[in-house]
Amino acid sequence: MSTSVPDELRYTKEHEWVRVEGSRATVGITDYAQDALGDIVYVDLPPVGTAVKATESFCEVESTKSVSDVYAPVSGRVDEVNTELADAPERINDSPYGDGWICVVEMSDPGELDALLDAASYRTLVEEQ
Amino acid sequence: MSGGDGAAGVSGPWRLAVELDRPRCAQEQMRADLALADEAAGGPATLRIYRWQSPALSIGRFQPEDDIDVAACAARGVDVVRRPTGGRALLHGGDLTYAVGMPQPRGRAATVDAVYRWIAGGPVEGLGLLGVPARVASFRGDPRGACFASLRGSDLRVGGRKVCGSAQVWRAGAVLQHGSLLVDRLDFSEADLLRYASEQARAEERRRLEEGTVTLRELGVDASWDVIGGAIVEGFRSALNLDFTSRVATPG
Repeated sequence: MSTSVPDELRYTKEHEWVRVEGSRATVGITDYAQDALGDIVYVDLPPVGTAVKATESFCEVESTKSVSDVYAPVSGRVDEVNTELADAPERINDSPYGDGWICVVEMSDPGELDALLDAASYRTLVEEQ
Repeated sequence: MSGGDGAAGVSGPWRLAVELDRPRCAQEQMRADLALADEAAGGPATLRIYRWQSPALSIGRFQPEDDIDVAACAARGVDVVRRPTGGRALLHGGDLTYAVGMPQPRGRAATVDAVYRWIAGGPVEGLGLLGVPARVASFRGDPRGACFASLRGSDLRVGGRKVCGSAQVWRAGAVLQHGSLLVDRLDFSEADLLRYASEQARAEERRRLEEGTVTLRELGVDASWDVIGGAIVEGFRSALNLDFTSRVATPG
């Protein structure tokens, strides 16, 4: 299976990605994750302002009658959510790193980024699986 | 999502809870299943099979409550409960339900579809012991208000008719899968308990439920519930290579 892993992003072992711009981190799930989940039919988005903690569940997605947790890669506060997913959750399948982004987190501890995987390490992780 | 190497499920020692005659309200059934999932993350996997004390409508984790005709449910004495698992509304009472709580698989096998197919081996084998040639559904219908009104890759079919629906939740290191095996048909259906845009839509759903599903009784299985439950357990044991070393009663 060929899995897309953009070089400029950071990743978790649980298959979330982060795009960092200053103190803001855009978060989504990876191409590998969306493929493992199958067709996504619902995203339970966190409300703006929600405090999230790294490694803890902050969102759930439903695919083929299966509900799965999505874990926060970093701690902070949800500053923006992709409301387009409410009507078009399939965007996560179609464009996991683009239109399928889930939310933007205003990070409280950017140092947590050091614990995330770079693209090469994440690529190794999924290739070994 | 959770990552990690191996098969879609864990063979070996499992716990078994056969609770076909244990009276429990709908909320208690769901609490018992969630407890299985919570224990499974770091402990043993469990298969629980049970019947429902009285007719109950379970709705999926994210299904809008507006889908439910509360007055119609109350008039028929139908309890309503929200499942932790996904999917749509499902009427219980004529079904045998199974719940599997097991650790999340790791690696390439950690996909929703792979887990559905691995677990399906159990009821498929069990139904075979009852003379029912069930298969995993291979196509997808549009998601509808009632679970049994569409046939998806996570379901079991006999011919083109659905005999068992299933749904999952992956949380905190565990997978909980529900399966609902149609044994008998009640004299009303989900189409009498949900809200529809029109009476024509309700009639179409009722027709889909009648034509798209089949029960074990309609397939000529006249065995007792205990015998059916025993066959399903044996199916899980042999197809998935499970060792039911401990029979347990779930708390609550």
